[in-house]
Parts: sequence; C-alpha cells; structure tokens
Amino acid sequence: MLSEYLPIAILAALALLFAVGSLVASGLLRPHRPTPVKLSAYECGNDPVRLPRGERFSIRFYVVAMLFIIFDIETIFLFPWAVAARELALFGLIEIAVFIALVFVAYVYVWKKGGLDWAGGSLTPIEAEAASEAPGPREEVGIRAG
Amino acid sequence: MSADQLVFWIFAPIAVAGAIGMLLSRNAVHAALFLVVNLFCIAVMYLLLEAPFLFAVQIIVYAGAIMVLFLFVIMLLGVDRGDDLREPLIGQRPLAVILAAAFVVEIAVAVRAGIGFATMAPEGFDAVNRDGNARALARVLFREYFLPFEVTSLLLIVAAVAAMVLAHRRARAVTQAELERLGLLEPPREEAPSP
Amino acid sequence: MTPDLDLVPFVPELVLVAAAIVGLLYEALARGPRYPVHLAVALAGIVVASGATLALWRYGGDPTVLAGAIATDRLAVLARLTVLGAAFCGLLLGTHAIERDPAAARGEFFPLLLFATTGMTLIVAAADLIVVFLALEVLSLSLYVLTGLPGRRAASEASLKYFLLGAFSSAFFLYGVAMVYGATGTTRIPEIANALVGRTGEQGLALLAAALLLIGLGFKVSAAPFHMWTPDVYQGAPTSVTAFMSAATKVAAFAALIRVFDVGLQALRWDWTPLVAALAAVSVVLGSVLAIAQADVKRMLAYSSVAHAGFILTGLTASNADGIGASLFYLIAYSAMTIGSFAVVGVTTTRGEDRTDLDAYRGLYRRDPHLAAAMALFLVSLAGVPPTAGFIAKVGVFGAAIGAGYVWLALLGVLASVAAAYVYLRVIVLMFMVEPEEALVSDPAPLPRIAIAIGAAIVLVLGLFPGLVTDLVRSAAVLRW
Repeated sequence: MLSEYLPIAILAALALLFAVGSLVASGLLRPHRPTPVKLSAYECGNDPVRLPRGERFSIRFYVVAMLFIIFDIETIFLFPWAVAARELALFGLIEIAVFIALVFVAYVYVWKKGGLDWAGGSLTPIEAEAASEAPGPREEVGIRAG
Repeated sequence: MSADQLVFWIFAPIAVAGAIGMLLSRNAVHAALFLVVNLFCIAVMYLLLEAPFLFAVQIIVYAGAIMVLFLFVIMLLGVDRGDDLREPLIGQRPLAVILAAAFVVEIAVAVRAGIGFATMAPEGFDAVNRDGNARALARVLFREYFLPFEVTSLLLIVAAVAAMVLAHRRARAVTQAELERLGLLEPPREEAPSP
Repeated sequence: MTPDLDLVPFVPELVLVAAAIVGLLYEALARGPRYPVHLAVALAGIVVASGATLALWRYGGDPTVLAGAIATDRLAVLARLTVLGAAFCGLLLGTHAIERDPAAARGEFFPLLLFATTGMTLIVAAADLIVVFLALEVLSLSLYVLTGLPGRRAASEASLKYFLLGAFSSAFFLYGVAMVYGATGTTRIPEIANALVGRTGEQGLALLAAALLLIGLGFKVSAAPFHMWTPDVYQGAPTSVTAFMSAATKVAAFAALIRVFDVGLQALRWDWTPLVAALAAVSVVLGSVLAIAQADVKRMLAYSSVAHAGFILTGLTASNADGIGASLFYLIAYSAMTIGSFAVVGVTTTRGEDRTDLDAYRGLYRRDPHLAAAMALFLVSLAGVPPTAGFIAKVGVFGAAIGAGYVWLALLGVLASVAAAYVYLRVIVLMFMVEPEEALVSDPAPLPRIAIAIGAAIVLVLGLFPGLVTDLVRSAAVLRW
C-alpha cells in the first residue's frame, strides 16, 4: 500500500536535498569577502524604517484566509468525486455540478462585494453617506486607526 | 520491521516532538509552526491507516488553510503582546491537573478497550475498501449521503456571506483617506526608534 | 444505482434556497433601491414554500425519501408551517427595521433570513442525524450573522457570544451523533430506532449519545442550564431578528428533538425521560425566577423564553402522541405570543432599539391603546391565563406530564406559572395604570402592526377555539417511519 507513495517521498527527499545542498554548496564554494554594499538589502528593497514589533496585521488578511478556507473545502469534495467519477456516472456529474454551481453563487457574491479586491469594493450608498458626513459618532463609522 | 512500522517510528516521535514544541514555545508564531509539523505527521499516520482522503484533508485544510488562519489571527492580535498570566477563575489550576489526570486514565482505558475492539474488524470492511478508501468514501458520499453533501454547499454560502458581512465591512468601511477627511486619524504613535 | 429521487417532499426547501440565492445575487449585482425587490423575492419564496408544504399534508409516498434523508410525516409539515409563519412575520419586522434605520441596514438580511428558514424547515424534516446536524449549522450560522448584522457594538458582542457558545453546543451534538453511529452503525433515525429495539446488551454508548444529543438540542431551545446565551443574544440582536429567532429556532429545535428522541431513541425512553424532566424543572424555575429580576423587556422575554422551553419539555416527558401533540400546540401558541410581544417591543418607541427598558411602557395605554391592548394580550397568554392560547397550551403539557406520571413536574410548572405571572402583570400595570412620564411616540408603521395583528389573532383564536387545530396537531403527533 505504502509503496504507492514512494515516488512522493523520494520527491520530497530530493527537494529537501536540493534546498539544503544548494545552500551548503554555495557556502563552501564562494569566496567570503564582505563589503557594506554586498551586505545591504537586496532585491526587494530598502532597509526597514521600523521593525514590525507590536504592529498588527490588517483584518483583511483574515477575511482572505476565511474565504480561502471556504473554497478550499469545496476543492476537498472534488477529490473523492474525481477518484470515482466514472463509477458515479451521470448522477455524480450532476451532483458535483450542482454543488459547484451553489458555491459559485458565493463566489459571485464575494467578488461583487469586493472581497477579492485588496483596496475594497465601492462603498454602498449608506456607507458613502456615513463617510461623507461631518465627524459622526465614532463607533458607528468604523474602526479607528492604530 | 515492515515498511509501515518503519514509517510509523520515524513520524510518531516527530509528531510528539512537534506537540511538545508547540506547548513549550513562548512565541505564538513558533507554536503555530510546531503545530504544522504535528499536523503533517498525523497526516502520515492517516496514510498508514489507508485513509488517503483524510490525509488529503489534513494537509490541504488543516495544515494549509486553517493554519494560515491561525497565523493571521496571531498577527492580527500582535505577536509580542505580553500574555496576562493572572488567572481570572479561582482554582483553575488544581482543577486542570485533576481533569488532565482523569483524561489520561480515560485514554488509557479507551486504548486498552480499543485493542479489544480492533481484533474484530467491521464486517465487510475490506470488501468495501477493495479499490481504495477514497472510492469507497465517494460511493457513500455521492449516493446514500448525496443530500447532506449538497446541503454542505449551503453551509459554505452562508459562511462566505458571514465572512463578508461581519469582517469585511469593517475593513472596508473606513480607508486611510476617509479617516483623514473625517479628522479621525490619530497622529502616528510615537515609537522607540528601531535599533 | 441511483438513489430514489422523489423531490416532492423537499420542494419547500428547494423553493427557499432558490429565493435565497436570487436575493443574494441581487444583493451582489444590483444597483439603486433594493429593499422592495428583496422583500418581494423573500415573500414570494416564503409563500410558495408554504403552499408546497401544505400540499404535503396529504402526501402518500414513503415515510422517508431522498435516500432516507427526509421524513414526509405530518410533524414535518406542521412544524415547517409554523417556522414559515414566523419567518413571514420576521420578514415584515425586519423590513420595517431597515426602513427606520437605513444606516444599519444590510441587504443580506433577506437572503440570510431565508437561509435560516431553510435550515429550520430542513431540520424539522430531517430523518438522518447528519442532515439534522447540517441543518442545525445552516440555521445557527445564519442566525449568528443576523444577530450581528447592524454592526453596532451590542449586536456584535451578542453575535460573538452566540457563536462561541453555539459552536460549543454543536460539538456536543456532533459527538452525540458519532456515539449513536458507534452504538448502532447507522445515522438514519428510523434505522437507529430499529437497531435499538430489542437490544438487551450493552447500551452504554447509546445512553451517552442520548445525553450528548440532549445537551446539543437543549442549547438551541435555550433550556436551562444551557440558556446562558439567551438573555444577552435576545437583548443584543435587532428586535426583528429576536422575534424571528425566539419563535422559529424553538420550533425547529424542538421538532428535531421530538424526531431524534421519540423516533430514534424511543427504545431508551425510560432512560431519557427523567433527563428531560430534570431539564424541564430547572428551566421552568430558573426562567420564571430570573425573569422577575429584569428591568429590560427583551431580557425579561428572554428569561420567559427559557421558562417556556421548560414547559414544552414538560410535555415531552410523555413520550407518546399526547405529549408530542401538547408540545406542538404549545410551540404554535408560543410562536404567536413571542413574535407578537417582540413586535410590540420594536414599535413601542420610534427610537426602537434604544428603549427596551420597562419605563418605556409607562402609560402605553394613553399613548397607543391598540398597542397596549395587544401587548396585554400577549403577556396574559405568556402567563397562561384563560381565554388565551397560552392557557390551553399549558393545560395540554401539564396533562401530558401527569399522564406520564410526572405529577411533581406539573405541580412545579403550575407554581412557576403563578410566580411568573407577576412578571407579566407588572408590565400590564405599567401600561394601563401609570401615567406616562415622558413624551414618547410609538412607531405608527404598518408592517409591524400586521405582524402584531397576526400574532394576536392566533393567540385569541387558539385560546377560544382550540378545537380548530387540535385535530391537526393530533394527526401530526403520530410519527410515521
């Protein structure tokens, strides 16, 4: 039974070997002559202005993760169906089509409501009104910065 | 030692080590990463028990999606906030010790009894599983339990609406520009200059 | 090898889901004024689903369809109709709340209400514990969101509390399902019944399952000691949602409880009826006593809801058609009273959510005699005074309990009713015999008044002519499997 997974195990071992091996090999082969320019931040950027200590993530990450779980679970159900698709024949196909169609409704809703835009969707009329009014009651407008 | 046992004895100690590491690490992010290790090893156990579907669920949903959510929650709350070690409920600690001891005894009894049960495998188990557990599961899920399966999609829709309604709006309702326009933006916090 | 596909007994759910999805897509895609369309779609869904449910009264097919997942008996029909009626009233109240307070309004209210209703109609018809669990989750998840929909602090807090405790109780229920499967090797409720009948040996697992399932469902019906969430959630949720959920959740969870225990675990009834009696006693006493101490009408009604869960459980100690029938009658009557009284709470002042303290009811009669009269009717019925539905309902459940040998429980119920009458009379005195102190204006909007009128009519008709529904209830109480 388990031997079916041997290729995967070998692949995982090879991947690990390659990652570790590359680092070790480059460490052994390269000349070690550091200069300030060589040690400075590389590719993506600048030296950090401040460290992210005490900073909080935006709640948007959380929403994205939650939506990810929802569609992840949809994917999981495809696995047993795919394994037995021929055996389940037309009835199975209809079933999975209905299931995907229903979850697709959720997808359309999330998309149109701006759940997939990082900057957020357009304001609803009520929210726009609330935002354009002079300083309203703070709690009702939303979270405060920080 | 068969291949199964070899795999078990490789992964079981890693699973236990991951669990202990999770309990002992002070940093919440490290604890979450230790938990990932543990979940992966448990997934391998499912594989050993010929439950490849559970293996996939464990990796894709738990080690993947749920752990990402965990990490985001940790980051959302702030990594290095000092934990409040005071106990609001009195007598919690002795109670926890007693209950933990009871739990250990219970597990021991259950395992002992389980060894008894295991000798009588469910009837027709191998026949049902003849071409793999995932297929056997598919036959049950998509025939006898097809209605619950479709109802699951309703649950996913409601969950998506819940995520959007309860969490997204708050993030959405106010942007930096709007805060400035409303005069609600607090001046940037004064922080100690980073070393 | 396709499962049988007799979709007729499942049409009400299909219609509700279709309406909910149309509403959700409309909310996602439409621009401009939305609420009239939302209301029309939701009303159409509820009315068509009710029609489809009515047609099932004479359904003559198999006792369960769709691979044993859906029961077709009359309990499912009657309970569905009650849930749909509650949803109809909830829809009217919710639409009014949106008109009054557009800043807190969300179009998702309509699809979520329909999803919650779908979960409730599904749970009352579910003949498989997995379906029961999924339906329970669909309705609970929708209700958590509906509770927190306005996004105000109190609502969000209530939503979070409801979610945490609800998830905890769902885990109990699921654990119970697993135990049942371990004991009998099936999740189909009729098959569970067959597997447990005539078994002499090891019943430990099944008994553990019964206890766990009772905890899970006891939470949903807010029976003490699993009622902790009720006052906070009822108070924090928008009043329209409270009205809907106080009635419909109770009907749905009790119908599921009846099916799981009186069909599936029928063989163990000598073991679980004492548990039900204990829950009933605690709920009746705690609910009645704690209601006295409340200064907020919504909290008072929440504790009263705990007490009423106890009365319904009192009826269920008789594990026979009498007990089930009495409990069903009680559920219908209670739905009408609770929706009506929460609807009055919603319109007592034009400012609505802000004023739910008892002072807002001072001299209501002078300000708005119709409203005060309706509230008095609901309170009298909640107290169980003739000639209202509440009285007939209480007589029914006490009679069933005495028939089953639980005389002490019936006596306790009567005593608690007397104590609780003080709570309701206090409000009536405030409304009729005290002069108004502040110039409050009650909301003249028509939609909530329709819901109040429906509730009042049902309370009166059931109180004066209970014979109109006793036959229906009796035939619904005969479970077929």
